[in-house]
Amino acid sequence: MESKIMKPVLAVYVGLFILFLYGPFIVLGIISFQQGPEGGPQFPIIEWSTYWYRHLFGMVPPSRIAPLPVGDALIRSLTLAFMTMVTATVLGVMAAQAFRKHFRGASVVFYLIVLGMMVPGVLTGLGISLLSNNVIGIDRNWWSTAFVAHVVYTFPFAFLVMLAILNRFDASVEEASWSLGVSPITTFRKVTFPLIFPGVLSAMLFAFTLSFDEFPRTLFASGRDQTLPLAIYGTFSVEIHPNIFAFGVLTTLFSFALLAVYGILMALSVRRAKRMAMQEDIA
Amino acid sequence: MAYDLQLTNVYKTYDNGTPAVIDFNLDVEKGEFIAFLGPSGCGKSTTLRMISGFETITSGDLMIRGKRVNDQLPEKRPTSMIFQNYALFPHMNVRQNVSFGLEVKKMPRAEMNRKVDQILEKLGLSDIAGFPTSRLSGGQRQRIALARSLVVEPDILLLDEPLGALDANLRKSIQNELKLLQRDLGITFVFVTHAQSEALALSDRIIVMNAGRIEQISPPRELYTRPSSQFVARFIGSNTILPGTVLEQTDGIVVLQTAFGPLAGANLAGIDAHAGRAMSIILPAEAVDLLPADMPEQEMRAGFGTNMIPCTIDRLQIVGHIMHMDVRFDDGQKIKVEGHVDKYRDRLKAGGKAYVAWKSAKATVIDSQEA
Repeated sequence: MESKIMKPVLAVYVGLFILFLYGPFIVLGIISFQQGPEGGPQFPIIEWSTYWYRHLFGMVPPSRIAPLPVGDALIRSLTLAFMTMVTATVLGVMAAQAFRKHFRGASVVFYLIVLGMMVPGVLTGLGISLLSNNVIGIDRNWWSTAFVAHVVYTFPFAFLVMLAILNRFDASVEEASWSLGVSPITTFRKVTFPLIFPGVLSAMLFAFTLSFDEFPRTLFASGRDQTLPLAIYGTFSVEIHPNIFAFGVLTTLFSFALLAVYGILMALSVRRAKRMAMQEDIA
Repeated sequence: MAYDLQLTNVYKTYDNGTPAVIDFNLDVEKGEFIAFLGPSGCGKSTTLRMISGFETITSGDLMIRGKRVNDQLPEKRPTSMIFQNYALFPHMNVRQNVSFGLEVKKMPRAEMNRKVDQILEKLGLSDIAGFPTSRLSGGQRQRIALARSLVVEPDILLLDEPLGALDANLRKSIQNELKLLQRDLGITFVFVTHAQSEALALSDRIIVMNAGRIEQISPPRELYTRPSSQFVARFIGSNTILPGTVLEQTDGIVVLQTAFGPLAGANLAGIDAHAGRAMSIILPAEAVDLLPADMPEQEMRAGFGTNMIPCTIDRLQIVGHIMHMDVRFDDGQKIKVEGHVDKYRDRLKAGGKAYVAWKSAKATVIDSQEA
């Protein structure tokens, strides 16, 4: 009947979906094990080797292919992502906390915050670049103007994550703490924060990964010193060697590691939420 | 004398203009067990939250031990609150939950441990002190919440429907524990509930609230037998309401002309019962005597005057030593009467005729209009 047609169609659809999702990564992964330094980004593999991985870390004899110019860019990107993560998460937690009480103009403020992730990145980047150069008259740098651009972009994500977490938070736990004579600040530190901590970590991971591979805003706002995505893009314009694929595999594995941490934290948070729900069920 | 808790002309109006509590006046002495009783949305929880500081007070004065605390933050007030869902800290074990309030006060460790041990012992929690709270039963969680609130030695303990989450058997036993604990500690308890059985069993005085206003403040027994408003008469106990108009008043007994002839009750509130005023007799079920129709009329008149309404017995049921009797007036109104088996056995039979009768002083007359 219907399922006889639908099932294979859906199966093909899912197959294609997975192929497009993971195909590039698989190809990239395979080519990264190409023999070097003669082997290029092509099939078939001449001979399997880890040459390009060793090349990345400068563990091969010098050849005509220069090492990937990503060392400084990587440090810059990690630093920027870390700065962005801390700032966006702190702002996100504070803003979400503010939204727990209804205040005048709350919905306007909400959309103003969320705008940061809706506005096209090119516009934000260009805008910040024009603002700093022509209006304020300061230099663009990855740690100043690009940092602002990254915070504007990632803050809404952190904010929304925290809003969802605090939405399901049982406020009577805080009231119980106040009524024991504990100040709101201590209550936040010892009761609220430990309970929302998995959510805070999710917000941090969001902010970190989004900042780490941010391209359009950084392109305009970062000035002379490039971040990692910009540096990698820069190498495309010369000649492509499989070392870039080896690098891609490593960064992807890094992302997967982050995702694994995220998954574990989510599981923890769900468990805690269940516990809270149990407490409410009894009520 | 100074009161432990005093509310004077307290009003609460929400930002959107809805009044939640209207002109609340109450003086509570130290060691009293007070219950706020009323249907949901009557303002009882709001009042409790104003006392605890979680809700602001729109106008009026809130005094605790003679000190005005309207503008004091919740953590500065000498009150502690028990929540309906207990609101235990899920990331702490039983002992950590209980010691939390003392810990943040930077109390010396030895003293803190002594106090925590003491309260855990008192509430029978010593054996489970190291357990996470999530695995414990409702009764245990309830006791943890009590221990956590009592260990900080509040002047006033506030309880927001603390028994609502427990099953009936547990509720009874915790109810008793709560009463004993309160006597033992001698501190003031303010208790919010919508279950009249809890309020009647536990409290020294009950504040009945409806639509943001206090309807009546009375000790449980008086509330049960002497409701002072139409709302309380309907909400508490099982009362028969007999509307009529005033015929006369003598020595605090008012006689009303009703559908069942002249009937009388006591005018306890001292209402100006001038002839013709619309009033009602509130007849508590326990004030009612059921008289068999074959009883000599003279004997009946001697005991009950004109306070007799003919009725038909629908059903008789004996549960233990109590006889439950469902009777019906001639106009179809049904009421329930109960009494000791020995008093009624063999004198009444189902389907037979009888009289509902009462002594004037045991019924109350109040205004027919809602206040």
